[in-house]
Amino acid sequence: MAERRAAVSGVTTALTTAALIVVVALPFVFIVLQAIFPDIGAGSFSRPFEHLGAVLKSEDFATQSANSLILGAGVVLTSALIATPLAAIRALYRLPGALIWDLLFLVPFMIPPYIATLGWVLSLQPAGYLQQLTGINLAGFLFSLPGIVFVMAMHTFPVIYFAASRSFAAIGARYSDVSRVFGAGPGRAFWRITLPLATPAVAASLLLVFAMTIEEYGTPAVLGARFDFDVLVTGIDTSLSDWPIDLPKAALLSLALIALSLAAFGFQRRIATARDFDVVGGKSTRAPQRNLGIWRGPALTLFALVAFVSTGFPLLAILATALSRTISGGLKPSNMGFENFRAIMTDSSGALSAMGTSFGLGLVAAIVAGFFGIAIAYVTTRGGSGRGRSLIDALAMLPNAAPGVVVALGLILLWNQPALPVTPYNTLGILVLAYVCILLPQPVRYTVAAFQQVNPSLEAAARVHGASATRTAWRVLVPLVAPSVLAAMLLVFTVAARELVASLLVAPVGTDTIGTYVWRQFDQGSIGEGMAVAFLTIIATTLVPLGILSALRKVERSGSSATNL
Amino acid sequence: MKTTLRSGLLALALSATGFAAQADITVYTAGPASLAKALAADFTAETGINVNLYQATTGKVMARLKAEESNPQADVVISASWDTATAFADQGLLMAYTSPNAQNVPDFLKSDTAVAQGVAALGIAWNPNSGTPKPTEWADLAKDDFKLMVTMPDPAASGSAYELVSGLYANGQGELFDKLAGNGALVAGANKAALTPVLQGAKAAVFGAVDYIALGSKATGESIDVIWPESGTVIAARPMMILKSTQNAEDAKKFIDFVLSDKGQEEVAKVYLMPARTDIKALRPTITELKQLPKSGTEAGSRGEVLDMFTKAFGK
Repeated sequence: MAERRAAVSGVTTALTTAALIVVVALPFVFIVLQAIFPDIGAGSFSRPFEHLGAVLKSEDFATQSANSLILGAGVVLTSALIATPLAAIRALYRLPGALIWDLLFLVPFMIPPYIATLGWVLSLQPAGYLQQLTGINLAGFLFSLPGIVFVMAMHTFPVIYFAASRSFAAIGARYSDVSRVFGAGPGRAFWRITLPLATPAVAASLLLVFAMTIEEYGTPAVLGARFDFDVLVTGIDTSLSDWPIDLPKAALLSLALIALSLAAFGFQRRIATARDFDVVGGKSTRAPQRNLGIWRGPALTLFALVAFVSTGFPLLAILATALSRTISGGLKPSNMGFENFRAIMTDSSGALSAMGTSFGLGLVAAIVAGFFGIAIAYVTTRGGSGRGRSLIDALAMLPNAAPGVVVALGLILLWNQPALPVTPYNTLGILVLAYVCILLPQPVRYTVAAFQQVNPSLEAAARVHGASATRTAWRVLVPLVAPSVLAAMLLVFTVAARELVASLLVAPVGTDTIGTYVWRQFDQGSIGEGMAVAFLTIIATTLVPLGILSALRKVERSGSSATNL
Repeated sequence: MKTTLRSGLLALALSATGFAAQADITVYTAGPASLAKALAADFTAETGINVNLYQATTGKVMARLKAEESNPQADVVISASWDTATAFADQGLLMAYTSPNAQNVPDFLKSDTAVAQGVAALGIAWNPNSGTPKPTEWADLAKDDFKLMVTMPDPAASGSAYELVSGLYANGQGELFDKLAGNGALVAGANKAALTPVLQGAKAAVFGAVDYIALGSKATGESIDVIWPESGTVIAARPMMILKSTQNAEDAKKFIDFVLSDKGQEEVAKVYLMPARTDIKALRPTITELKQLPKSGTEAGSRGEVLDMFTKAFGK
């Protein structure tokens, strides 16, 4: 039996490693090559290391690195401050309309950050929507470091909210009940028991927020440009967009960004491995949630406030712009109408086909990334030898460290080699590759955290009762981690469906995705039409999770009955 | 939604199995997208040759070309900055071609390896609802009436804004930028990023707006006027080039011919660009009506020097 298990793991490990090398490692190898050899794009290895000294010494490089770090830390802190109390209330107490709040907190994640940012600008700048309605504008706040941190945290806090509330719920009230029996107050029980037990999952989500923040392009580009706040990603984009194009510098800045992310990843790993708790044991942990009592009103007010600021406000700004005949006409009834929606419905500008393409691509990318994620998480937490495991682990996290534009660059350099007999380049396949590569860390992270919470004794029990390793994995592990995997696939779908930066660079000729379509409308077309497509996309990508959330509840129920065996 | 999703999946399946329609020529072009699509559709209708379009900013087009250097995919490149035509010619990347339809294109809009698709000029884009007096000169935007109310595309990001900055420096008007900076002018992003705050009224005017974008906005009913100062402005020609690496030289040449044909040039005129051919009617003032700055921007110094002076003026 032991031999057979090792064989299964061996094959799985080998296949997973091979796939990771093709999807992740090779594009990054080409980025490193580009950083070293400036003319690698032309297939030449001449003038190695020519750029290195100049870039490392430049003042920009130090400032941009520091700014990326400050921004990342600020957004992580702000998101955690917003999300943790909400997650605790949601998981441990009987909150009226719990699922509605979950849904509302999914929406900020559905709003592409560059569109939300434009919404905030149109609302808060002088003569913006807020001033038209109330006479005040918050331009001073918006175009400042706290402003960027606020706008980005409004987008990222749901990541922590969902990870933390899921983890708090899995821990349940049982453990803190024990401490209550021994005399701890509710606050002390939460701080000393629930929060530390949830550390691996919460730390993983904090890292995800950090990585998302330092590789986000749209928000720092739009807001940061107003007060000279440059980060590494905007620096990379400048080297890629401003004549003369400087690919080696872009690659070098990318490597700096990768180093920053890897440092954060190492930090998170130390926390996670120092505190690895099996909270999903053989007994049901679904203890009943408590009543909120007199805190019901304040709790609901808090949820409503956060939901309005993070979801309602940007959505209203987007809708207002989509309904405006002209931007200069302002929020007057005479300036409102459905012209922009009508224009995209006639499909003269290709809005509908862009949406079809993106939803199809998002679906395929989610399925591929989801199964890939399970394989990687299984190998790293359960099977294989030590060395192979850490290699796989590192490879799977690598894309987290690189912004989309860098992945896109690596993909072009790799897949446009004339020597290749077949290549996905210039087909939709290259976009699937790009999305899977960029988003792979999300299913891996979610699934690994879920695997870590499952006590190996459950699998041991299945094996003792005669189930094979494969059967054990499919019948015991997969159902237990399925909610996390589904949540991650959902994330992949929504982010892939609206991805902009990589799509802009590698989209096959003649293909528009939602991101590139909307961006083109903003760039030289009609902002109103761009916002109309954005609005429809947000609605559509919110309805998909509705279906998935209800499916999730069914899986959770069958999952918990499996734990009760 | 279901059908679009299905068509998306179908397209994906088709391309994955290699049945995607194989285009006959590939064109990489800077905006506007509507013009690129219209030209491609009309060209296909007339010649039966398919066009695969990649449309992005000049910067993104160049980045993709650079990354694809070992295996170039494009046949024709259309940029929004004449600089790229000069640089590509110097690097020996271009195929020499003079279209028979280029006879009525003035000499300064064509070379052995490039010919203009159309031409834009730079001006002041001003929102009449902003409560500011109508500006007539560049210097007006440095006056108190426009304190904190002016935006300007970043010359490092916008090729056309760079032309204006170097042009004004070459013609001894460089101190204008110190005054603009003193007046709180905002330098941010590329062209549309500078225009949007002016449309909503957060700012009153764009210093150095690419005129056809503003004219297009005006045509859709936005409250915006374009003013070309009497003292002179600069023009930005949009070069079309055939890459030397092309496998479809004949079809690529046909595409250039088509863009320079009556029909192609009318499409160019429709988006408020000046047609490259002087004998096609423009929907806007043309080169002959606009006063250009006497000295060329190249006399101001190299790109790096000009950007340095500009950066110093704005204390960035």
